[in-house]
Amino acid sequence: MLLEIKNLTKTYDDGTQALKNVSFTLSEGEFVVLLGLSGSGKSTLLRCINRLVEPTSGTVLLNGQDVTAASGAELRRMRRDIGMVFQHFNLTRRSSVLRNTLSGRLGYNSTLRSALGIWSQADQQRAFQNLSRVGLLNKAYNRADELSGGQQQRVGIARALMQEPRLVLADEPVASLDPVLSHSILKYLEDLNHEGIAVLCSLHIPSLARRYATHVLALNDGNLMFNGLPEELDNDRFKEIYGQDAESLED
Amino acid sequence: MPEEKKQTIKPVRENRTSLQLIINVVLIALVVLTYTYGWNVTQIDLSKLAAPPDGLKGLVGDLFHPDILARDRQSYRAYRTYLIPCDAERQRAGAVGEGISIMPDCGNIGDIVTIAGEGLRPNTSGTIAWRTQQGGTKILAQIETDDTGAFSFTTRVPEAPPGQTVGQHGTEVILRWEEGALRMSETAKQVLAKMVETIFLALMATTMGVFLAVPISFLAARNVMATTRLGMTIYFLIRLFLNILRSVETLIWALIFIVWVGIGPFAGVLALTLHSVAALGKLYSEAVESINPGPVEAVQATGASRVQTVIYAILPQVMPPFLAFTIYRWDINVRMSTVIGLVGGGGIGFLLIQWINLIQYRQAATAVWAIVVVVATMDYFSAWIRKKVV
Repeated sequence: MLLEIKNLTKTYDDGTQALKNVSFTLSEGEFVVLLGLSGSGKSTLLRCINRLVEPTSGTVLLNGQDVTAASGAELRRMRRDIGMVFQHFNLTRRSSVLRNTLSGRLGYNSTLRSALGIWSQADQQRAFQNLSRVGLLNKAYNRADELSGGQQQRVGIARALMQEPRLVLADEPVASLDPVLSHSILKYLEDLNHEGIAVLCSLHIPSLARRYATHVLALNDGNLMFNGLPEELDNDRFKEIYGQDAESLED
Repeated sequence: MPEEKKQTIKPVRENRTSLQLIINVVLIALVVLTYTYGWNVTQIDLSKLAAPPDGLKGLVGDLFHPDILARDRQSYRAYRTYLIPCDAERQRAGAVGEGISIMPDCGNIGDIVTIAGEGLRPNTSGTIAWRTQQGGTKILAQIETDDTGAFSFTTRVPEAPPGQTVGQHGTEVILRWEEGALRMSETAKQVLAKMVETIFLALMATTMGVFLAVPISFLAARNVMATTRLGMTIYFLIRLFLNILRSVETLIWALIFIVWVGIGPFAGVLALTLHSVAALGKLYSEAVESINPGPVEAVQATGASRVQTVIYAILPQVMPPFLAFTIYRWDINVRMSTVIGLVGGGGIGFLLIQWINLIQYRQAATAVWAIVVVVATMDYFSAWIRKKVV
């Protein structure tokens, strides 16, 4: 089992209960889509897995190792195995595309060398290959903020690939993009999934979940409401997740 | 068009109570009292502005005649002897120079003599003096040669001190003029040297301040430090430290450092550095706190260490505000370095306060103008840089 979540609970300092006793597992090679309304706890769940958010209780096991108990260098080593892609891309806008891509490799490099901007030939080659893979090799020396939204998200994917991750967490990767670009981005995630990298991706749109997911999870108000195959996601289930007033937006 | 009847509306206003009225009266009385006391305690007396002392005119005049340029000073000295009484046998000694004569060249106290010159430097002013045997000198008159270099002056042989009346007296003519190309006056040279010191004082203090403030600002930024309890403790301590540093003015720091390292620019550099660290540390840390947190979590998620996160996710974001604040601080430091010398911290202020105390207003004016020019130039320069980089 690649990822095992047990009784994960997160209560924020202001009392908001973002996650309530969530448990599930994720195997190698899976493409799991996480559905739920805004504020249902999707982002919190993803961030608890790599401890960008500190869980209140519960455990996260990555390859049998306890992420929640790790600290310092140990935690950083575990984070290397978990790539992350963000809704707002989270690139350093004033830095070059290449430098943003290389920053995915920071966990493998000493603080001193990376502080001075010294990167090994191997890392640079890896960066060029990943940029070429997302079709942005000729933008390597452009500033990140000169790129369009879709291009920036592709840099985000290249950055995650630099980590040589076993799992990629994608937090609403297409929510701030033009709908027509959604498939382009999700295809990149599907491709790397086919190469053996597991993907846990939160999405808004059920149709996209049916198209890409091998497995679907759904959160409602911090509770895991659904854990099953995409085919099982019928209209009743849909209303359970999104509430009775919701209308499925099928395209 | 049908005539519309305008309906006047009026909000309901709660009636003022007499208590509110009393409170208002007391408040007004307090304000009046405060400003009356302030007027008295600061000894404001506008009539003094209307009746300036005579010295002010000279001061203002001197302000517009700064001592900047001068020529080489030249002088010509000539001396002729005069015997009291006349004694043809007596040897005369000590005639110096050409072109002047005294007629007659012997006689008694009170006799009329004519001192004349010819072939001297034309249109040149100078003095005529009478010298007694023992060398006592008395200025007789100011003279000025005419177009041909001649002058003539008639006077009586002046009284001499007792015991010096008999013997060899003489008359001395000294002409003084300026010659050659204009060059910087001694004052201007001093001002220039101190101005260079002033600018470098500001440069060193700004640079040292920046190098210290950058790391400190990250320790004083909540979003960097709030991850651990130890981090929060350091954050609060650094904030406290910066607040204490900032609450003490630069000139007071200078006085403290003068006791420590002695009078001179080093004390000024230390004082300005300290205040720059305090001010920049706060401004920088606020820039760090207002960054977009997205790139920070993205870099953290890759397994980067805290220092790597600062360098790859925070530094690129805070570069523009850091630069803007640094230039702003440089402006302040240039200004401050011109006055830090008033208390002995080096730079141009040291000369300024010295000349003011000696009532040498022309020299002081030179220093003031130098400050105006340098500060204005630096302002312009930094505005230009700001436009280029930020």
